[in-house]
Amino acid sequence: MSILKNIVTAVLVAGAVSVVPVRAADVAIGALFPMSGLNASYGDIFSSGANLARDHINADNLIGGKLTIQYEDSQALPQQGVIGMNKLVNVEKVPYVLSAFTGVSKAISTVAGRSKTVAVNGGGVGPDLAELGPYFWNIIPLANYEVRAIIPYLVNERKLKRFVLVYIDDPLGQSIRKEMETSLPAAGGQLVEALSVPASAQQFGGIAARVRAANPDVVYIASYGSQQLQIVKQFRDNGVKQLMVSYTAFSVPEINAQPEALGALYTTQFMDWNSQDPITKRFVDDYKKKYNKMPTAYIANYYNAVRLFALLTQQLQKKGKPVTGENLLAQRIESKSFDLVGGKVTFSENGTVVMPMQINEVDGKGGKTVSVAQSK
Amino acid sequence: MLAYLLNLATLICINAVLAITLNFIMGYAGIFSLSHAIFFGVGAYTAAFFATHYSASLFLAMPVAMVVAGLLSLVLALPALRVRGEYFVAASLGLQVLGVTVFSEWKSVTGGLGGVIGIPPVELFGYAVTDPTQFFLLALACLIPVLLITSALLRSSFGRNLKAIRDSESAAHAFGKNVAAIKTLSVVVSSALAAVAGTLYAFYLGFINVESFMLDTSVLLMAMVIIGGTGTLLGPIVGAVLLMLLPSLFSYMSFLPQTEIGAIQQIAYGVVMVLLMIYRPGGIVGSGKRSQA
Repeated sequence: MSILKNIVTAVLVAGAVSVVPVRAADVAIGALFPMSGLNASYGDIFSSGANLARDHINADNLIGGKLTIQYEDSQALPQQGVIGMNKLVNVEKVPYVLSAFTGVSKAISTVAGRSKTVAVNGGGVGPDLAELGPYFWNIIPLANYEVRAIIPYLVNERKLKRFVLVYIDDPLGQSIRKEMETSLPAAGGQLVEALSVPASAQQFGGIAARVRAANPDVVYIASYGSQQLQIVKQFRDNGVKQLMVSYTAFSVPEINAQPEALGALYTTQFMDWNSQDPITKRFVDDYKKKYNKMPTAYIANYYNAVRLFALLTQQLQKKGKPVTGENLLAQRIESKSFDLVGGKVTFSENGTVVMPMQINEVDGKGGKTVSVAQSK
Repeated sequence: MLAYLLNLATLICINAVLAITLNFIMGYAGIFSLSHAIFFGVGAYTAAFFATHYSASLFLAMPVAMVVAGLLSLVLALPALRVRGEYFVAASLGLQVLGVTVFSEWKSVTGGLGGVIGIPPVELFGYAVTDPTQFFLLALACLIPVLLITSALLRSSFGRNLKAIRDSESAAHAFGKNVAAIKTLSVVVSSALAAVAGTLYAFYLGFINVESFMLDTSVLLMAMVIIGGTGTLLGPIVGAVLLMLLPSLFSYMSFLPQTEIGAIQQIAYGVVMVLLMIYRPGGIVGSGKRSQA
């Protein structure tokens, strides 16, 4: 009898909870980050930016109700990503999902497209991420924009014409090669050699010899992780004295601390952490206060992804339209540009951001900006 | 909610096919393979390649994937099966590493590290299956024959030979059994049936890349078999259901901090595995005694 009584009580409590009124403007978005496994640290980094944006939006009452972020663990794996995405779309009914990691992003893009849910990438830079359909957006400039931004600077201002490209043999490296083959001749430069390296390679003595033989003005390195550290070190050890150039992957503490990398140039999205722009200043100040360190571009990107959602939602609410993936897409196309951390950001037709880029030099102290360029 | 459950159920069916086929060689023939994800991948890549270049018909793509995976396993298993016990585990680990490298580098077929994108929906009699309910029924319709085929094989003399080899390879050999042929055939059958799962997976996700066929997947499949119960028909299915549902269940526990769910899952897995091995080493479905496999 007591069991029956407990069941009845539980049912009544569950019923009571389910009829608690929810404020009309309360909105939840999803985040599909690796929270366990080898890449769990990325989940922490990305969510720190997203959470800060959520706190700011709620403090400002930007969307008239409470914004929550429902996290799902993708483990950076496609299958887990699809399970998490299905839960976010079909159970949590979120209209907007933050995505990370190329494999997961590609795997969830089918679900996003079919369910008309917006998925936003703030971490991967492979240009193939621009081809995942209208519901997949990138709030980080993709690698081809980075190449386009630095070539005019090197050719016109530094008068460096002869380039050798050393690229990792994956979609990212291949796209950088493709971009160089078209951008360099147009800018008055020349790609004298393009040398591919397998993703797992760690020995580059032979490649260094070929670079020396080509005698270029610039060596562009399109790799990432521990491999790029080895390339830089082994190239210098093997007598490659030319200027080394790369993209965002060089903006890591390991490269900054590597003596062989001193003087190398690399592009990143334009981020002036000392900017007096109120959005950027608030983001930097509050992040430093909360975590006692400077934010990075990745953290700003996921902050921006959440802020972008709030700005779109605010505009939809003004029009009295429901916050659905379809309406968010239509509003993004209509609004085109947004005030985010780092300045005004515009979207191109394929859902990828176009923002100013900066060229940095490795100086052993976190990198110094040497030029700001507008990518086209 | 229904669509989410159907998604989980579909992936459970696919993983159950893999666990059943791994159990076929592991639980009955005593062949501890750490490269089952490779044959899963071969099936997936073959079906994806066939679907994107020729036809998305299930009745064409799946048999082609099964033949390719079966033949490849024949070529690869023959030298590896000359060794037994822990030496085979090491050999299969080598095969796993080799397979992942080929998947990563053979760009014209596998798309390299970027994977294969835009795999069309699977077709049945010219009808494209995109509805989650229909795909779940298709996955279930593939799981049942795989279960029936392996069950029938295990009840035949071939199955008895497998168990004899598992219990004592030397004794089976002394009784005149062609141990190498039986082991090779079992690996071929297992790999060809694993390609069924690969085909379903490729069509279901519409995208595949090497990340789905890494060592982690092989280890997860082995865990499904061991936790469910090696050498039993239902064990691999129970293991697949359990290991696929546990992470989802954890994510529903709202009292757990959202960003710590992953770490809590890992701890829970470890504790469950340790307790299971102490109190029920034969797996959930298997006997309480230590498995002979």
